[in-house]
Amino acid sequence: MDGMQISKILKEARKFAKTALACEKYDIKIAVLGSCSIQYFVLLLRYYLFQNGITADIYEGEYNGIAMDVLDAGSGLYSFAPDAVIILPDYRDIKAYPKLLCDEDASQLCAGFIDGYKKMWAALTNRLPGITVLQGNFVLPLESPLGNLEANYKFSRRSFIRRINGELLNVRPANVILVDMEYLASAIGKRTWFDNSQYFLTKMPCSLECLWDLTELFAKQILALKGKVRKCLVLDLDNTLWGGVVSEEGCDGINLDPNNAVGESYLAFQQYVLPLKERGVILAVCSKNDEEVAKEPFMKNRYMKLKLTDIACFVANWEDKASNIKRIAKELNIGLDSMVFFDDNPAEREVVRQFLPMVEVIEAPEDPSDYVTALDEAMAFEWTQLTKEDIARNQSYIAETQRREMAGSFVDYGDYLKALDMRARIGIVLDNQIARFSQLINKSNQFNLRTQRYSEQTIAEYMKSDDAKCISAELRDKFSDYGLISCVILRRAGTVCFIDTWVMSCRVLKRGLEYMMFEHILSAAREWDCRAVVGEYIPTAKNGMVKDLYETLGFVPAESVEEIHKTTDDSALYSFDTAAEPSKKYYISAE
Amino acid sequence: MNIREELQEIFRDLFDDETIVLFDEMTADDIEDWDSLSNISLINDIEAHFKIRFTTEEIMSCKNVGAFIRLIEDKADK
Repeated sequence: MDGMQISKILKEARKFAKTALACEKYDIKIAVLGSCSIQYFVLLLRYYLFQNGITADIYEGEYNGIAMDVLDAGSGLYSFAPDAVIILPDYRDIKAYPKLLCDEDASQLCAGFIDGYKKMWAALTNRLPGITVLQGNFVLPLESPLGNLEANYKFSRRSFIRRINGELLNVRPANVILVDMEYLASAIGKRTWFDNSQYFLTKMPCSLECLWDLTELFAKQILALKGKVRKCLVLDLDNTLWGGVVSEEGCDGINLDPNNAVGESYLAFQQYVLPLKERGVILAVCSKNDEEVAKEPFMKNRYMKLKLTDIACFVANWEDKASNIKRIAKELNIGLDSMVFFDDNPAEREVVRQFLPMVEVIEAPEDPSDYVTALDEAMAFEWTQLTKEDIARNQSYIAETQRREMAGSFVDYGDYLKALDMRARIGIVLDNQIARFSQLINKSNQFNLRTQRYSEQTIAEYMKSDDAKCISAELRDKFSDYGLISCVILRRAGTVCFIDTWVMSCRVLKRGLEYMMFEHILSAAREWDCRAVVGEYIPTAKNGMVKDLYETLGFVPAESVEEIHKTTDDSALYSFDTAAEPSKKYYISAE
Repeated sequence: MNIREELQEIFRDLFDDETIVLFDEMTADDIEDWDSLSNISLINDIEAHFKIRFTTEEIMSCKNVGAFIRLIEDKADK
């Protein structure tokens, strides 16, 4: 980005700041703390988030006042009560470096420095339960008084800052997300990142022209915290996964030749996509081709890295790509706004952009050797954590295909469900399940009754409370083990048991698991001696599928029940008498 | 367009005010939004537009529009 571009963005952001009306309720409250001047960062952050559908109320910390804000219980930071805190550090915060030739100094000084951060995180977390900390790491400066010796001694400044960055990772609690500013600065180039004149004059965290990149880095984490994550990569085939057109050149004529620079580019792209699949990104194909012709290279071309079994949904026909992407979303049961589209053809990209603006379309470069960089730099798959369910996700989509094939042989749906041989483990959430429990609550949009988002920290608080219960469900069937796929948070309010949160992964819809889950909710309510279970449905753009859930389960519509009131004007409350018995049948055995 | 006119465009654009007319003695007091923060943008815009680079001291010494114009003239000549 050059001076002209950042100037344009700043102008837009300034205009936005002037015209933006104060919201009644912001999507998120963020505090930004830094040892640098942060006004421009805040200006850009608010603008970036707004462009991506999030309204943010932002608290600007005092200049150079990180510790002041955090350690003083009476500070403006705490009365603001943010949901997330961004901490922007600078290498110039490090005041004490090891003495030359004193490696022992390095470990002691580092431990002391890190201790300061641990105390700060602890203070934040104690005073603001449920807070998520987005902690930037230290960008290594360009200057090297020892020259290349910096790399050869532990006592050197560069080695010391590296050690601090490494130690931040060793000690970070679950609610602290490290944000890799050092990586970003290196990727852009430190000679661009640092502008000494600007720093001396204004103390900005980086040069003006890099500020938008820095904003994006943090903003992507905020979006992920708010459940705005993408999880499916839709790929074109001809001239995207391989060189040439398979219907013309044939299965072995397409270019994937490891001895040809262009062929190698396509291979490298496939090789980049595979680890995406491993981390839980769902792969889909959307190609204008005859299906058989399109599938042939996956089965027969010896250089193909991607196999048919890597693709969760394969669509090849002659319909337009916008319709086909919709079809993929429907088949995988995921939202269009969780999809990313990669296609070499600008016309196809334009169609998708126009008709499906919620799909992220990657601006694929002309040269296939740049495909990996383009997809990588788009930072499309920013999540705040990785769980074993993510890693198993693709496998379970592939098992879904086998399941569907089996379903075809049954006339009666109940018979099919029985044949699936489903087994579920439902119970109080365990410590080692918190990460996944929180991930599911924060990512689920469709089967989600109230769409409340909670951090791991808040969930841990609920787990400790006598007036709350966190219940999770794991499910497996004869084809796959889904892991943890449903979460419930119950709160005792007087003589009623309130269903604060109820979410379920869309991969296990229509299995009857919600009926089994309800029995557990009911027995939890009875354990508390509650007279009723109260549920609420808060409509969003996405959760229409659970609109009638409570009525289906035998709940009756209710107005305010004791201290439980409707959250919004259009939400609905329901009540279920704990003396009554649940009526829905299911075919899942307990384990 | 001469330097003064081009600079005026930059000011109008940055402060989003088409009525700004520059005069030599004009300072940050004359434009509501011209503060230390927007001054960073102003310097950036001037440097990008005229393809010049100010030194730290020059930026510190530019207190009014006349000083900016003299400096730009000086630099753009070279």
